[in-house]
Amino acid sequence: MPLITMKCDELIPERGKHTYITDTENPVIPACNVTTIPGDMTERGCPFAGARGVVGGPIVDIIHMVHSPVGCAYYTWGSRRSLPDWYSWSGPNKLDNAAFNRRYCVTTDMEEKDVVFGGGTKLKKACIEAFKMFPEAKGLFMYTTCTSGLIGDDIPAVAKQVEKTVGKPVFFAQAPGCSGVSQSKGHHVLNHEFYRQIKALREKNPDLCMKEEEKTPYDINLIGDYNMDWDIKAIIPLFEQMGIRVVATFTGNERIENLIKMPDAKLNVVHCQRSAGYIAELINEHAGTTHLDVTLYGIVETSKALRDVGKHFGLEKQAEAVIEKETARIKESIAYYRSKLEGKTVALYVGAPRVWHWIHLMEELGMEIVAMACTFAHKDDYEKINAKAKSNILVIDNPNEFEVEEMLHDYKPDLFLCGLKEKYIARKMGVSTVNSHSYEKGPYADYFGFVNFARDIYQGFYAPVWNFVKNNPSEEVE
Amino acid sequence: MAIDKIPIEGFTFEQFKIEKIPALPAYVERDPELVPKSKRKVVINPSRTCIPFGAMYATLGVNRGLALVQGAQGCTTYVRYTFSRIFKESAVIATTSFHEDAAVFGGRKNLIHGIRNLAVRYKPDVIAIVTTCSSEIIGDDLDSFIKMARKKLIKEIGEEAGNKVRIVPISTPSFAGSHIEGYNRAAKAYLMEFAQEKTTANNKVTIIPGMINPGDSREIKHLLTEMGIEFSFLFDTSKTLDAPLRPPMEFPYYPKGGTTVEAMEDIPNAIATFALSKHEGTKGAEYLKNKFDIPAYIGPLLMGVHNTDMFLKNLSAATGKKVPESLLDERGMLMDTMADSYNHTMMKKVALFGDPDIVIGATRFVCELGMEPTVVLGGTKSKTFDKDIAEIMEEYGYEPKVFNGGDLFEMDEYLKKNRPDVILGHSKGVDIAKEIDVPFVRFGFPVYDRFGYQKRPVLGYQGAELFLTNIVNAMLDHTYPDDRTHQL
Repeated sequence: MPLITMKCDELIPERGKHTYITDTENPVIPACNVTTIPGDMTERGCPFAGARGVVGGPIVDIIHMVHSPVGCAYYTWGSRRSLPDWYSWSGPNKLDNAAFNRRYCVTTDMEEKDVVFGGGTKLKKACIEAFKMFPEAKGLFMYTTCTSGLIGDDIPAVAKQVEKTVGKPVFFAQAPGCSGVSQSKGHHVLNHEFYRQIKALREKNPDLCMKEEEKTPYDINLIGDYNMDWDIKAIIPLFEQMGIRVVATFTGNERIENLIKMPDAKLNVVHCQRSAGYIAELINEHAGTTHLDVTLYGIVETSKALRDVGKHFGLEKQAEAVIEKETARIKESIAYYRSKLEGKTVALYVGAPRVWHWIHLMEELGMEIVAMACTFAHKDDYEKINAKAKSNILVIDNPNEFEVEEMLHDYKPDLFLCGLKEKYIARKMGVSTVNSHSYEKGPYADYFGFVNFARDIYQGFYAPVWNFVKNNPSEEVE
Repeated sequence: MAIDKIPIEGFTFEQFKIEKIPALPAYVERDPELVPKSKRKVVINPSRTCIPFGAMYATLGVNRGLALVQGAQGCTTYVRYTFSRIFKESAVIATTSFHEDAAVFGGRKNLIHGIRNLAVRYKPDVIAIVTTCSSEIIGDDLDSFIKMARKKLIKEIGEEAGNKVRIVPISTPSFAGSHIEGYNRAAKAYLMEFAQEKTTANNKVTIIPGMINPGDSREIKHLLTEMGIEFSFLFDTSKTLDAPLRPPMEFPYYPKGGTTVEAMEDIPNAIATFALSKHEGTKGAEYLKNKFDIPAYIGPLLMGVHNTDMFLKNLSAATGKKVPESLLDERGMLMDTMADSYNHTMMKKVALFGDPDIVIGATRFVCELGMEPTVVLGGTKSKTFDKDIAEIMEEYGYEPKVFNGGDLFEMDEYLKKNRPDVILGHSKGVDIAKEIDVPFVRFGFPVYDRFGYQKRPVLGYQGAELFLTNIVNAMLDHTYPDDRTHQL
């Protein structure tokens, strides 16, 4: 089946290039990673969101300085559920607060005069003050936005000056909101700029690299996992049980010192291949480290990932042992949920990778996918979708509000996996949802996370509220 | 995790026992030289957000109204995300999607295209063009863009349909103020578009409430209805941000409710304007006063006894209607709860923070409860905030530390040394209270970490009663178990 045009798109026919029906025989790649049509009600965010909100934000022990008017800093203040364990301070029973990088929102709060006269001096002062105020911070990350980007503040120069004054590493990512088609651009910019700066730091200060005696033959980096709801608590122990050490997670709950050591690992295991595949490539170019693309959701995919990693290190037996043990732990629970969910239909709408990460997972639960959509997918994401999905599924690239509504109405999925913005409208239409970005009650990754995921899906279907919604008193009277 | 079998209920967050790692052994006072916001450039933990937010909030209170944000996608997506977090509702807002080309060549194409696509697909009654940092820095000529868009629209869908959709430009560069100013500007921009001429005089009053919750809007309408006064309510989010779940739903999704175009056009015929929040709506009230000579009653937000009394008295003065028995009973019920609970409120030290208007209102109310405000923070700097607080303090004889336009960080550090008995504020300050182990009562904007706050009022007599019980119960919950609670 070819590209199709949804009914609501008849008046903006360009959208027809973005929607198609899967066909395993003749796969189609829609127009993707291109500019959004103005006024179409897109669900996309901006490059700044990709840089600050998604990839940079989870680094836990540095100050995140947003060089902008107050809004951009405010909206990225502890909103995404990428959780850390590093706190400024603690006292008895006083650890109920938020960890360092989610506790503080740090910004230059640009005002009109900064826009007119430039914000560089203010940024420099603000960074030095922030370091004084937070002596526990191990570094600083500066993010530009539309305002600071458009007026052309010289960010690299300020970074250099602050670094010199303070003696701690200062990083920056220049991904203003209007600099690209979606948040994906921000992922890209941050990966490249950050890695370039890591490389320079290591050259200047070899002490920051991992010492030879500390290295093991089984060192890996977990690239592209942001520790949503403590996913890494599910993931990292699997590798540890196999005798593999995770040097750094890029960037969930990670310290800057470990991120600087990324090039010293022997293998990069790449989970989110959209937002962090770049850095794996860069490490490969620079340090020759190979990388392995994995999916760490569901039994089938996680087991495959462990086997692949095991094979790389000659730890096949260990991998099998872990797979056996972990699968045994969740078998009964998953069987229960499968019995409850079998035959239900689902629509999947996430950024990009989680769509293809979850295709097999849905099949493991016996559910049927009727529609899929990606906010910022590129060509390779659609290739992965086409490789995994069955035929006759609707796929929408960069969907907009109207298309989401039409999809829910026409395809009538029992469940909609989506983000926070879409979840409430789906519920208004009587469709249960699971927040697929920050999760409902995670972690959802790998084996035991799969049980949590299945449970949250189950709770969506079987909540008694839906029965009341279907039968209101006026209908009963008739 | 030595668990052989993961239970059906899954593996919960609590079971993790995540080891939290402190960088410092104990709380260390932050550099006192730099803690006051006035002594530094860096802002830490602001209690305010950007201007466009306020304009979008206003537009969500318009029936079949859509905001079209002239800027990068994040300016819309982050705001929608914030609305959804607070109200647990969908907030439909469009963007003109600035990418590199707009940054270089300006946003003309984006706006014209955006208006066209929105108008033909969504058929809204109103499109509000909300500008952003980027479009203002680039220097977009909004008026001429809108004219071009209109021309294009008429050419495509004909004179009548093309002229039907009303377009309201609102200039909101984020570096020029905070969300409350965005609402203020929206109030004026909407009235300039819709309140153009007097037709038939009526006895209605116009209410510009400010950025209050749906529950508060309902409470104000309740007071007006009891008074027997007809009104226009600009902007009415009582149903749009608290919508029922009743499928099947028509789409595209427009929630029921919101201020209609007809209601807005009727505003010049009203006999008085009440801008309930001084910082959020005065510009609209002043426009009506200057253009149509409609008397304007500006603030204070009707929190507590005195302010609600004053609101009702002003309503009486403007309309000649008397305060009815039913409202006197409501007032009496508030008195009753105040009398029942004063042993738990008197002499209690309280810190308050949030947007200026609601904080000024709440400060007066806690004084009425016999509480002592020790810290008062208005998140946006205001010319009148200090004076308004001073007036209340003159009456009650307290001397709180006032942060006018302060950030939560300086208040946080101050509270570490000056511990109050209770803190009243929004969700951004929850950690402050937790760290010093003080009961916390949520109110104002934004409350996203609990359910229901947006549905219940803090305004009017009934709202005051609810708010009072929240305050007292928070303190009781915090010190529980206490044998004395068997008899309060």
